[in-house]
Amino acid sequence: MFETVESVRHALDGQQYIATDEIATVLFLAESLGKPLLAEGPAGVGKTELSKAWAAATGRELVRLQCYEGLDESKALYEWEYAKQMLYTQLLRDRLANLLADTQSLAEAADRLGQEEDVFFSDRFLLPRPLLRAIRSDRPTVLLIDEIDRADAEFEAFLLEVLSDFQVSIPEIGTIAAKQRPVVFLTSNNTRELSEALKRRCLYLYIDYPDTEEELRIVRLKVPELAPELARQAVEVVQSLRTLDLKKSPSVSETLDWARALVTLNTRSLDSAMLENTLTVLLKYEADVERARRALRRVGGEGNGRTYH
Amino acid sequence: MEERIIKFIAALRAAGVRVSMAESQDAWRAIERLGVRDRDTFRLSLRATLVKDADALPTFEALFPLYFGSGTPPLGNPQAGLTPEQQQMLRELLEQMMRDLARQLQQLLEWLFSGRGPSEEDLQQLAQQTGMDPSRYPSPASARRLARRMLDLLGWDQLQDLLDQIWEALAEAGMDPRAIEQLQQQVGENADRLADQLGEFAGQQVREQRVEQARRRSPRDLLDRPLNQLSSEDMDALREQVRRLAARLRSRAALRHKRGKQGKLDPKATLRANLRYHGVPFDMRFRQRKLKPKLVVILDVSTSMRPVVEFFLRLLYELQDQVQKTRSFAFVDHLEDVTGDLQSHRLDDAIALVLTKLPAGHYNTDLGRSLRQLEAAHLDALDRRTTLIVLGDARNNFNDPALDTFGRLCRRARRVIWLNPEHPAQWGSGDSDMLDYAPLCSAVFQTRSLSQLADAVDRILG
Repeated sequence: MFETVESVRHALDGQQYIATDEIATVLFLAESLGKPLLAEGPAGVGKTELSKAWAAATGRELVRLQCYEGLDESKALYEWEYAKQMLYTQLLRDRLANLLADTQSLAEAADRLGQEEDVFFSDRFLLPRPLLRAIRSDRPTVLLIDEIDRADAEFEAFLLEVLSDFQVSIPEIGTIAAKQRPVVFLTSNNTRELSEALKRRCLYLYIDYPDTEEELRIVRLKVPELAPELARQAVEVVQSLRTLDLKKSPSVSETLDWARALVTLNTRSLDSAMLENTLTVLLKYEADVERARRALRRVGGEGNGRTYH
Repeated sequence: MEERIIKFIAALRAAGVRVSMAESQDAWRAIERLGVRDRDTFRLSLRATLVKDADALPTFEALFPLYFGSGTPPLGNPQAGLTPEQQQMLRELLEQMMRDLARQLQQLLEWLFSGRGPSEEDLQQLAQQTGMDPSRYPSPASARRLARRMLDLLGWDQLQDLLDQIWEALAEAGMDPRAIEQLQQQVGENADRLADQLGEFAGQQVREQRVEQARRRSPRDLLDRPLNQLSSEDMDALREQVRRLAARLRSRAALRHKRGKQGKLDPKATLRANLRYHGVPFDMRFRQRKLKPKLVVILDVSTSMRPVVEFFLRLLYELQDQVQKTRSFAFVDHLEDVTGDLQSHRLDDAIALVLTKLPAGHYNTDLGRSLRQLEAAHLDALDRRTTLIVLGDARNNFNDPALDTFGRLCRRARRVIWLNPEHPAQWGSGDSDMLDYAPLCSAVFQTRSLSQLADAVDRILG
């Protein structure tokens, strides 16, 4: 489908996603080798966005599995729809009575009922969760397993099984193999170490904060209303904030929020008052805000080519 | 090429990056798809398949140029567009000029005009002649210095004058101005590339050294070295280790919490969950026991503890992050509550703040008084859920150890754990009261190195 790295980048461009050489190359490899792609990096650099853009670019359906602590198979793979089964047995009570009417013994009745068991453990009562949905889908899908580091280690082990052959076995029904091998994206914010086994099966992509020019391109693309001059200033501020030692550095999505805030506030120039007032859009810890204020004041005071007043 | 890739993978492994067979197979397949012609694509395809850890990326980037060259373009042949007569003219002129030049400068001109740059050995030789040894201080700055010195040795500063002379002489000899211009351009370009190559070479020397050093200084090794016998470079590496340790502890602690949550039967939740079975309790629900440990940590920041105090503080900081209900105290001759300092400041500021708050004097440690202060002022911090941790060497300057107070504190707390950086053989020697305190504690650990510390912390959280 995609013959070159360039075509991958082009397809992503079409979805308003600016891909670096690295992203395009690794994505191309994931696609052509048929391997899951594990994207790591700080929060808010567009890891999730990448899979969305790729699904849109390739016209695939996006199936998303958001991980959290305590996520288990019944939430990720499938569950029997008990309530529906219950309802059906209630409604079919008469039929069941008829069916079992001419049986002589309890054992015989149980046997006969056992023959009909398939009715209750069939597709009809199966509630597919994201993983099964991606595997059973007739259309090609992009499976996004978001923030895998939040799930427990046990779940990771279970996931390994699914990712290695893309088939699941449901005891009552049998093995279901993928009709279309989904393209799998895993994202991680690196809050814990993933297992070696999982990493081994994936291609690895580390997405870092973009540099000034890249980030500027992103801002221009996503918030075209912001004046070019101002956009550059804003991006430079964000970039300089990232060099500080903060509890949480501003992410790209926060840069975009800030850019939108500046548009909403009708900002003409980025003076220090405006900067201080809107800093909380970028920074989410009081200590960070304080620190950034001090640092920016210093920069402004020295006026070394970058003044914000 | 194949051999080089295999060697490269071996080098990655040697540098501590885990590369499995499956991964090297992937690398081959990736190279099959994308080829090796484009250097950058080649690098990215290796990187995506071989390295699965952000921490290992710098190692990869450092090793890659060592095995696959640096990507600086080779010199071009400036004489390519000249007629045979013009080449002859140039050769004669160069020979004549070189006669009274230094050997180094002769070589430089030779490289520039022939388009055949220096070989690896030439560069090695040149580097040796500088008399600099990048292995001693492998840093980017020393790489730049080495490159600079190599250029100086070649007589770089005289090059421009010399070239001007050559152009002039060629013009006088009646060479076609266009040919001269062409020569000028290519030679100038060659000079730039040569400078790049030297810079790259110097950088490589330094990187090789760094890789070598990194190999020698493996984390395991660091973990086992005593905390007070570390150089400042080791400190940086160690800080990284402490952070990783804390992260690992966090996930391990979280797992343990999950495994251990078989609490009491929760009738309400069970009823609700089993409505779908006509109220037949198939699916039992249990009330999760909220295991919320509380910590009270007393840290000795006196002179005898100074070498390790920073690390204990670092650990304390991470602990406070990990266990929400942590009260931290530090003492020399009296006790200070430093919980707030650690909470509201960033790590390095917090450490500095605590250390200025409690300046260490000479022989003024008084644990007994500090314990009594704790009992008098902060007894509310201790209850049956609290684990009391003492970080210190119990060297009390022959002051009253206040054993009765310590005993009362111990009875009040759930557990008392003492972490002592001294070797057990030294306990009780001189002014150490450790042997008196030890029987009152639930557990005593010697924490002379990070790995011992990690073990102890693991047991505290468990």
